[in-house]
Parts: sequence; structure tokens; C-alpha cells
Amino acid sequence: MLHRILRSLLASLLLVATMAGQRVEVEEFILENGMKFLLIPREGDPNVAAGWISKFGSVNERPGVTGVAHLFEHMMFKGTHVIGTKDVERDLAIIEELDSLRAQIQSQRADLLEKQRLGLIEDPDDPANRSAEHSALIARFDALLEAQRELVVKDEFSQIYTTNGGSGMNAGTTNDFTIYFINVPSNKLELWFWMESDRLASPVFREFYAERDVVREERRLRTDSTPTGKLDEQLESMFWQSSPYGWPVIGWPSDLNAITRAEAMEFFDTYYAPNNLVAALVGDFDVEELKALARKYFGRLARGARPPGAVRTREVEQQAEQRLTGRAETRPQASIRFHTVPDAHVDEPALIVLSAILNGRTGRLYKSLVLEQQVAVQAGAGVDGRKYDGSFQAFGVAAPGSQPEDVEKALLAELELMGREPVGERELQKVKNQQLAGDFRKLQSKFGLMLQLLTYEALGDWRNINVFSERIQAVKPEDIQRVAKRYFTDTNRTVALYYTKEGAGPPRGRRPGRLPEGDPR
Amino acid sequence: MRRREWFKAAAGGALAAVAQGQDGLPEHPRDLVFPKLTYDPPDPAEYRHELDSGSVAYLVEDHQLPLVSVSFTLRAGSYQLPKESAGLASFTGSQIRSGGTATRSARDFDEDAAFLATQIGSSVGATSASGSVNCLTQNIDASLGMFFDMLENPGFDSERLEIARARSLQGLARRNDRLGGILSREFRRLTRGDHFTTVQSTQASIQSITRERMQGFHARHYDPRRMFFSVAGDFETRDMLRRLNEALAGGWPSETVEAGDIPAPSHRPEPGLYMVDKTSRDVNQSHVTLGHIGIERSHPDAFKVRIMNSVLGGGGFTSRIMLRVRSDEGLAYSAYSQYQPGTYYPGVFRAGFQSRNATCAQAAAIVVEEIERMQNEKVTAQELGTAKNYQVEIFPRFFATAGQVAGTFANDEFTGRETDYWKMYRQRILDVSAEDVLDAAQDHLHPDRLVVLAVGDTEAMLRGNPDQPGYSFESLAGDAGVRSIPLPDPLTMEYPEA
Repeated sequence: MLHRILRSLLASLLLVATMAGQRVEVEEFILENGMKFLLIPREGDPNVAAGWISKFGSVNERPGVTGVAHLFEHMMFKGTHVIGTKDVERDLAIIEELDSLRAQIQSQRADLLEKQRLGLIEDPDDPANRSAEHSALIARFDALLEAQRELVVKDEFSQIYTTNGGSGMNAGTTNDFTIYFINVPSNKLELWFWMESDRLASPVFREFYAERDVVREERRLRTDSTPTGKLDEQLESMFWQSSPYGWPVIGWPSDLNAITRAEAMEFFDTYYAPNNLVAALVGDFDVEELKALARKYFGRLARGARPPGAVRTREVEQQAEQRLTGRAETRPQASIRFHTVPDAHVDEPALIVLSAILNGRTGRLYKSLVLEQQVAVQAGAGVDGRKYDGSFQAFGVAAPGSQPEDVEKALLAELELMGREPVGERELQKVKNQQLAGDFRKLQSKFGLMLQLLTYEALGDWRNINVFSERIQAVKPEDIQRVAKRYFTDTNRTVALYYTKEGAGPPRGRRPGRLPEGDPR
Repeated sequence: MRRREWFKAAAGGALAAVAQGQDGLPEHPRDLVFPKLTYDPPDPAEYRHELDSGSVAYLVEDHQLPLVSVSFTLRAGSYQLPKESAGLASFTGSQIRSGGTATRSARDFDEDAAFLATQIGSSVGATSASGSVNCLTQNIDASLGMFFDMLENPGFDSERLEIARARSLQGLARRNDRLGGILSREFRRLTRGDHFTTVQSTQASIQSITRERMQGFHARHYDPRRMFFSVAGDFETRDMLRRLNEALAGGWPSETVEAGDIPAPSHRPEPGLYMVDKTSRDVNQSHVTLGHIGIERSHPDAFKVRIMNSVLGGGGFTSRIMLRVRSDEGLAYSAYSQYQPGTYYPGVFRAGFQSRNATCAQAAAIVVEEIERMQNEKVTAQELGTAKNYQVEIFPRFFATAGQVAGTFANDEFTGRETDYWKMYRQRILDVSAEDVLDAAQDHLHPDRLVVLAVGDTEAMLRGNPDQPGYSFESLAGDAGVRSIPLPDPLTMEYPEA
């Protein structure tokens, strides 16, 4: 009760002065094996948002196995020694034989890739190019898959959750971490403990090769078939010169074709020991009961030998401006990106406030580029603070009659102004007010809160969810000027200009924003 | 919302004979014993209030956070407009928010809302108009004041209109860029024919939008007597009712006209195989959808159809289409079916996926096989159990927040849903038997009426997969053969002769 009175008292001061926002109260505890739990008991509907992360993602990969963190995430739904099979012994024997056949097929395919490299054949996947031995191996492989199918209990993992009312089950892989989440009815919380600890205790990567094909389809869907997907990928790998952030989370196509089950298992053994894992649960539960369940189920996992070290290869300092000029079936647009700072760095709050001052209907970019100069129809900025490094980006979509380079010029002028003149008191206070209201809004969804706790923890420390707000409130106009001058420099800049490439369709007249005849640069 | 007592202790003795593994844990999830959960859905009558204007509001208090949210829906939409005015309804909706008010400039309105950290929205869709405001409790006076000023006296600032027009025209030019966008547009045309849901804005229709025409649309439809409100958050009900009544009093200047009935489509889709060639990006993936006209929400078989579709392709990883197309064959990342019943007229059944050009025919054949199998065999006890249990178990999630409770009930009344719908929901699910599912599949799936649409690299799709020569698109096409749909001019939406 006192808590509530205090809160409404604080809220009434909101627009008057800076103050602490809503704090998130979390019960933290750590099992003997090192696995951490973050708990927020909350009344409401009879449901619990539950998730866990491994604090590792594609940044922890190496060339040759790019995409393995994400592929591994897919495999975590394929079952265990108990789930997903009628006969685990026979199943494991088949999996081993499949791996051996696959290795032989790969060596046959390597011969075809060599022929393709020399220009002797065009398509290494055309069956006509295969040797008799190659085709026989494929036939044996397919026959074995059929035999395995007899043993598999299809998608039993999903089936058990679904039949028990688990909803929103999914997982995601980012550069820095991998996250697994679901909503479960509060009377079935023990099911979550059973299922999640089981797949960490004895995962079996059955149906590995079919799932690898699924991931290749996912890559085609998300990257290859979107208008700017491949350009964006090229931009990303150009921006990061030495950092492993340069390769795509979903992996390069060559690696996706070749990653083996053993390599995925190796990733698991290194990065999924309980001392690398953190779980978060938000919802209707009793804390003591939940702790007992955690010990009972996750307590069986053995601590990993030694936590993996930090990523060794870091970004080198950029020496000269980088530019990318591309054509895509999209609106003409420009983006400008700078190397800045990792998550939770002391300069991050000022950069975030800076981007907020540029953003939105009342932000400087919209007012200047869209409303006044009418050089763009859309403009914005954002901060991407990752674990080891970070970047700041401003972008705009050219208005009819304008070119991407006009948008670039206008964006640069606004960024330069941030370093030259202090921001106004009212526009700074506006951003801080929005931050404080956002502190309450972010508590509305139990699921969203669970995801935020895990994300903060993956990048450093969940406590930053509370510190963050205070840091934003403390930003002064001179802080913004300082970071603008420090990071928005010529040699730290990467510019991407996308021009419109017309696709198939009836011929039409000249469109605004089309690339003029001849290359502009 | 009040906290309810959900758990009843598990019956004594029920814990006996649980299989345990070596580590003392139950061997399989089926050995777990869960406490019983009882849950009663909220009663709409408890939250329903009639306002002085004659309109209705659902108010659900929730004092956990100092936030208040007010939304409304009313009957207005693009269905009321002729084709030549395509875009006017949605422009009116967004310009009510962007164009300031009679006494507050667009810029001041935006600045004030941003400084208060108040979120205000407005939109008009095909069959309804809506608006919302979300603010901190302490800013409720200023925020509701702005919201109702905007609804009653929108400014429709001319400069904001021109900016929106420029952006819209640029967007029109780009609408043949994405395979998914082309697929939904053409599939709707094939299934709905000449209907308001298939009307596309054009350069000419966007250019015909004026401030006066938006003012006219607003005056004809934004009548406080027609608004269905949903209010949730940190307020006292009596106080909020007083605020709403005051805001809606005084008779807004309006030339209200009858909203008019929503016309049902009369088109009878022509089954067959249709292809749109879109190869410009040299991408080895195409998008395919198969479907036909379905049923209305009020159809007595609606729950049977829901369970049937859940087994077929609506149940995510546990449904048949997903199992075969993705999990068994690795042919697609996403593969599904949806059987969305229509609110005002029969909806559409559709199944779909994206796959390599060479394997599209194979995946499409699998989907057709699975549709036919639903009609020929009863679903297994486990499939039926999973589909039904899921629907029953997630039921409390429909009412998880005060906003969901208020929003659901307001929308139910707006669309005329039967009042015992939620009370009976779980029982109606539980009543569905395997025979019902078979009947529903036989009555409401029509493999002979399937409209199959494939968008992507037509030539490569027709060539098929050399490793699976048994599958081809031609065999799906039947006697009529492959019909090709050209891409329209994106600005005029005129289709060249094929």
C-alpha cells in the first residue's frame, strides 16, 4: 500500500523535475551449477511468461560455421533421449550412420564444387553431374532416413507443450545471445521445468539435415527474396571490418550447406553449460515453490568446465569513409552509420537521447527533412549497442523529386548541428518525459518484461534495466554535443545510398529517384 | 482486476504411482500431475455502461500502473466509398491524427502530445474507424481534452495532407516489389472479384483526395452516438463515465448519414492454377497459396471447422501441413493453413508456403494431399486432443489484461456477436468429436474448388525438381492449364493484356 502511495506521489512530480522512474523488482538466485534465475511474481491472469538464454550468439562463431548458433537453436526443438523417439538406442545408431554417409556425400560434392570452380560444370546440385557412387550414397542416405522416420515421434516437443496450453513458443538467435521462450498456464509451471531442463540434459539432433534445409529456406525468405536483403547484408559486412558482427546471424550460404551435426554439438557443449545460462519467469507463481522446482530440475545439469572467454577478434578503428551504392526494387534512400559504443558504455545514454531528439513526429529529422525541406518522406535514427561494440545510424527515404544524395546531405547537416549547438531545454525534457512514461508502459506485458530482463542480462547485467532510466534522466545538453563531436566524424562514417531499380512489369515513364543514366560515382 | 483463486489442491492419492527416472524425476511429462485450474471468464455485464449519447462503453479498472487507455470503434470505412475515392477513408483516419484541430496547429498538437508522453492514434479501415489515447494518469485531463478535440474538430492541415500524399504516391509505385504483397493482392482478387476488399488506390484516386472530402467523410460518420468505447487502466469508473459524457455532450457538428450495410461479395472464384511471373531479383524462392471461400463466424460448424483447421495447418508445429512440408521434407520455413471465418460474410480458407522454385510443386501437392486426407480419414485421438486442449488451456489468455477485457467486449457488441459466446466457448470446443472434424472437412474443405496462386519464377517452378520428377504444377492445373496473371501498372492498377 505504501508502495502505491509513494508511486503516485512520484508520478505527480513527473513533468516538474528529473526523478527516478519505475524500478523493476527482481528476485535473483543462482543454482550450485551456476545457472541464474530472475523472478518477478505478479498477480493477474493465470499464466507465466518463461524464458532462458544462452549468452552466446553468432558473434561467438568462426568462419566455416557461420550460422551454427541459429541452426543449433532450431535443433533444440527436435527432441531428447526421452522426447521425440520410440527407441533412442536405435535412433542414435542411425544418426551416427547418417553422419558418416553425409561425410562421404560431402566429399563427392566437394569434387563437384571443384569442377564448378574450374567452370567445367554449372550446377553442382544437378543430379546429372553426379557420379554413380555419389547417387548410390544419396540413395542409401534416403533409405536410412526412411528407417529413422519409423522411430521418430514427430514434433513431440511441440505437441506436449501445445496440448498443455503452452503458447507463443519460439526462440531467437541474435549476434550476442540465443533466447528460448513460451507462456505456460500457471498450474503447469512444472512442465516448463521438465521440458527445458530435459532438452539441456540430453538433446538429440535428429532430422538434422532436413532442418538445415529449412534454415536455407529461412535465409531465402528473410534475406534473398526481400528487395534490400542482400544489399543490407553486404552493408553490414562492409561496416564491420574485423569484428565477427560482420557475418549474418543466419550464416553464409556456403557454411549453411556444410555445417555438420558434430559442429552443432560442439557449439552446445561449449555454450550451453548451465553456468552460461540465465532464466527469467514473470507471472503468477510462488517464489519458494519455483526455487524448489529449479533445484529439482535444472540442478541435474553439470557445471561446464570453464566459461568460454570473451570474443577475441574486435573491430579495428576505421581509417576512411566507406560508401556503398546499390540498386534495389525499393524506394530511393540513404543511411549513414558510425561506429560508437557497446551496450551500457558511459556514452550510450547521451547517444540514445540524441537519437530520440532526432526521432518521431516531433523529432528534428521529421521536422527538418520531411516537413520543412521536403527532401524526404520518412527519416529516423537509432542506436545499436551490442555486447562488444555499437553503432549509430540515421536514415531517410527520398521524397519524389529528391535523390538519395540529397537525403544524405540533409541528414549530415542535422548530425553536424547536434555537435555545434546545445539542444533546447524543452526538447530534452520531452525525451526524458517519454522515457519515464515508457518505464511504466514496458511493465504492462509480462512477456515483454521477461524478454527485456533476459536481453539486459545477456548483454551484461539485468540491473541495467533500472540504471538505464536514471542515466537517461541525467543526460545534459553538453553530453549530447560531446558525443556528437566525438563519433560523427568523416573517417568514422559509412554511407549507403540505395537507388530504385525497376522490376518486371509494364514499361513506364521516368520515376523520381531512379538512378540517372551512367553511374553517379 | 481482482485476483482469483485458481488452484484447487490436487485430489489426495492422485499422486501415487508416478513413474520416476534414475534422478528421481518423472520419466516423461505425461507422468506429471498438475493442480486443477478453474477459471471463469469475466462477465461483460459487469463492465458495460450506457453513455448519455446512447453509445456504449466497457470500463475495466486496473490500478497496477499509473496508465489510462481509451479507445473507440465506429461503423465507417472504405466500403462506403466508390472506387474512384480509394484511399479517402484511410487518409481521413490518419489525417485526423496528423492534421491538428480547429484551434491547435498540427505542429502544436504533436508537440503537446509528445511532451506529455501521451500516445494518440486514429485510423479508418475497410469496415470500421477507430481511435485511441494512452496517457499517464496524472495527464488525463490534458490528454482526453486533446483526444476529443481531435475527434470533434479535426483541422485537416493542408500541408500535412500534401506530405502524406507524396509518401503514399511513392508507396504505390513500389507495390509490385514484394512477392508476399503481390500474392495477397492477387489472391484476394481471385477469391473476391469485384468487391470493396479488392479496391486498390491509384495515382488518380490519391490525387483526388482533398481537405473538403476528408471533412465530409468525418462529418458523415464521426457521430458520438455511434462510438463503442473500451477504457482500461488507472481510473475510477464513475469519474471516467462523467468525463466521457462531458466530452461527448453538446452535439458535435455533424451531418451524420446512415452507415449502410456492408456488402457481401458475390464473386464465385474460378478454380485452377494461376501464376504471376516475378523473376527480377533472381531469387531461388517462390510463394504459393491455395484456397477457396469458407464460412461465416455465426455458422453452426464454426468450432468444428476451427479444430479441423488446427489439425490440418493452423496448429503450428503440431499440424499436418507443417509436419510434412517443413519437418519431414525441409521444403519450407513457413507452411500453414488458416480458416478465418468472416464477421459479415463468408471468410476464406487458405493454405500456403514459400519454397525453392524447384520444390514448389512438390510442396503444393503435399498440401492438397493433406486437405484430401482430412476428408477421407478421421483424425487421431491424439491430434484431436492436442487441438482441443490447446484451445481450452489458452482461454484465460484472451482476458489477460484489463485492455483485452474491455476491448474484446466492446468489439463483440460492435460486431454483434452472440452474448454467451465466451461463456460457451470452452464447452463448444470440448464437444467437437473426431466425427465432427471429418464432417467439417467434408462439408467445408473443397479440394475441387481450390484456387492455386504461385508468385515467383514461373519457368523454374514449372520445370520442377529433377530429384522428384513425380511432382509438377501442370498436373495441379487440370484441364484449364496454367493461367498467367500479368503484373499491373502500379500507378493505374491497369493489367496489360496477357
